[in-house]
Amino acid sequence: MLLILAWRNIWRNPTRSLVVLGAIGMGIWAALFMTGFATGMVRGYIEGNIATVVAHIQIHHPEYEQEKEAKFSIPGVPTLLGAMEKDAGVKAWSARTLAGGMISSAKASRGVTIKGIVPGKEALTSKIKENITEGAYFESGRKFQILLGSKLAGKLKVGLRNKVVLTFQDMEGNITTGAFRISGLFTSNNSVFDETQVFVLQEDLAGLLVGGMEGFPVPVHEIAIMCADPGNVSVVQQQILKRFPGVAVKSYREIAPELELYERQINFVSLVYLVIVMLALVFGIINTMLMSVLERYRELGMLMAIGMNKARIFGMIVLETLLLTIAGAPLGVAAGALTIHYFSINPLDLSAFADSLNQYGLGTRIYFAMNPYVYSQTTALLILTAFVSALYPALRAIRLKPVEAIRKI
Amino acid sequence: MSVIQIAQVYKIYDADKIPVKALNGIDLNILAGEFTAIVGPSGSGKTTLLNIIGGLDRPSAGHVQIGEVDVDALSDGRLIDFRRDHIGFVFQSYNLIPVLTALENVEFVMLLQKRGRQERRQRAIELLKAVGLEDKMGKRPSELSGGQQQRVAVARALASKPAFILADEPTANLDSAAASNLLDIMAKLNREEGITFVFSTHDQRVIDRARRVVTLVDGAIASDMIKSDPVV
Repeated sequence: MLLILAWRNIWRNPTRSLVVLGAIGMGIWAALFMTGFATGMVRGYIEGNIATVVAHIQIHHPEYEQEKEAKFSIPGVPTLLGAMEKDAGVKAWSARTLAGGMISSAKASRGVTIKGIVPGKEALTSKIKENITEGAYFESGRKFQILLGSKLAGKLKVGLRNKVVLTFQDMEGNITTGAFRISGLFTSNNSVFDETQVFVLQEDLAGLLVGGMEGFPVPVHEIAIMCADPGNVSVVQQQILKRFPGVAVKSYREIAPELELYERQINFVSLVYLVIVMLALVFGIINTMLMSVLERYRELGMLMAIGMNKARIFGMIVLETLLLTIAGAPLGVAAGALTIHYFSINPLDLSAFADSLNQYGLGTRIYFAMNPYVYSQTTALLILTAFVSALYPALRAIRLKPVEAIRKI
Repeated sequence: MSVIQIAQVYKIYDADKIPVKALNGIDLNILAGEFTAIVGPSGSGKTTLLNIIGGLDRPSAGHVQIGEVDVDALSDGRLIDFRRDHIGFVFQSYNLIPVLTALENVEFVMLLQKRGRQERRQRAIELLKAVGLEDKMGKRPSELSGGQQQRVAVARALASKPAFILADEPTANLDSAAASNLLDIMAKLNREEGITFVFSTHDQRVIDRARRVVTLVDGAIASDMIKSDPVV
């Protein structure tokens, strides 16, 4: 009956209770919306970086990371790639030949990382093919083709079919050059990547690197790996390390520590959003419950007079607050979940801010996302909010003296 | 057998640093089965005396014993439980719980006593029948007249099987017919069930029906009269 009493007490003033329920619903919806937006944005950033820049795992020669010289190519590549083919945890891989050098047009020069790739394998591993906005992702049968970022092309003042010259050191440390014709331009969400990375065919780059060294195998400096299950990256990494202790095997968390930081931060950010909303709600709920207690001062005095002890009075006020708060929650959670679901299919288009977003490697289409535990976190915080909000009104209620309360008109 | 024994009870209010004696050395002994009215002009101390008898207020000095229990010695928490189990209250403005039905209002005190649902429901129905409200059990206070609400309050006061019922101006807000009806019910309960009633009142109709009339003037008992021929 106490539950019934508490529930009915809430509806003594339906307008006031509905306003509070609405505020709770709106608050939770807003917190979930912000969390969904932020999670989607950060996930988009992380996934974009993994797909475009770092992949899940990278394998290098142990000394390549320090020196980045062409001579530090990965040893035993055929065995390694054979193992990758058989590993069920590996979805795709791309063996890349890398060189740091200069790209020059008739008008300008820039420092770039030159990636020699096998187009078929690279298309399965990274998003470079999807990011082609002009031209083609390499044309079959042609040699010395190059893919440039649109922004880099703009800075070099070149376009499709134009020629650029790449200058870099070969395996013996000699400066070598090669002329490449632009077959495609790409645009990713990461403008830094677009301005600093160029793609050529592996055989062309390897030929220039090896030069006159007859019979020298194609040097591979990086094997980028995408895992079948993104949650399984560490396991795959450990397996490769165990089998091939002579190479450096790093996950995206080690290669780009900021990605892991963002991953962790988003959990914290969602908690911060929730706490801010709950803090705002605490004051609204306290106000409502305090009004409710003060309006019923005489009635509460009567309840004490007829034998309702302080613990029960306290419990009743807490129960009322809990019911009021929890009644508003499903509304907010449902609206929040629906909104997030909608925007997870129909991304929020922020093209108007494309330049700024791309500067930070962020996409312009935000697919909302949510860690499922946020819903249980929201519920737990809401219950805590209700308890905190109930304390002051409940304490006011039990402090009254029945003889004074009953006299009140 | 004494239900209420009051000895040398004083109540002094210290309003604005000027002590006001609301009760001035009251001695009163109320026996089981009495139908007593405490009367007197406004400010004579009727309600203060009733509050002290009911354990809602504590005397400044003196001794209050209900049955075998020394009320002065009870802590505030124990006093609440004591009121719940031993004293029934009927207030001037009914003071029912507005969101509960008549039946639930009567059941409520028994809920506080942790009695079983079946027992609560059965006794509440019996009590509401006893006060003539068998057809109003599902109604909320706002759907009942003043007289009907006060009858629910009487049923609620009886629900805990108290030693006595304290009624503070129970007819003050009722018209003649409703007041007469309420007094009939209370007199019947007193006569047939032996329930002890103590009223504070101004109402001549209540005074006429009381068997004992205690008159207070300036916080002291001016007269204590037991009638041989009350109007019943």
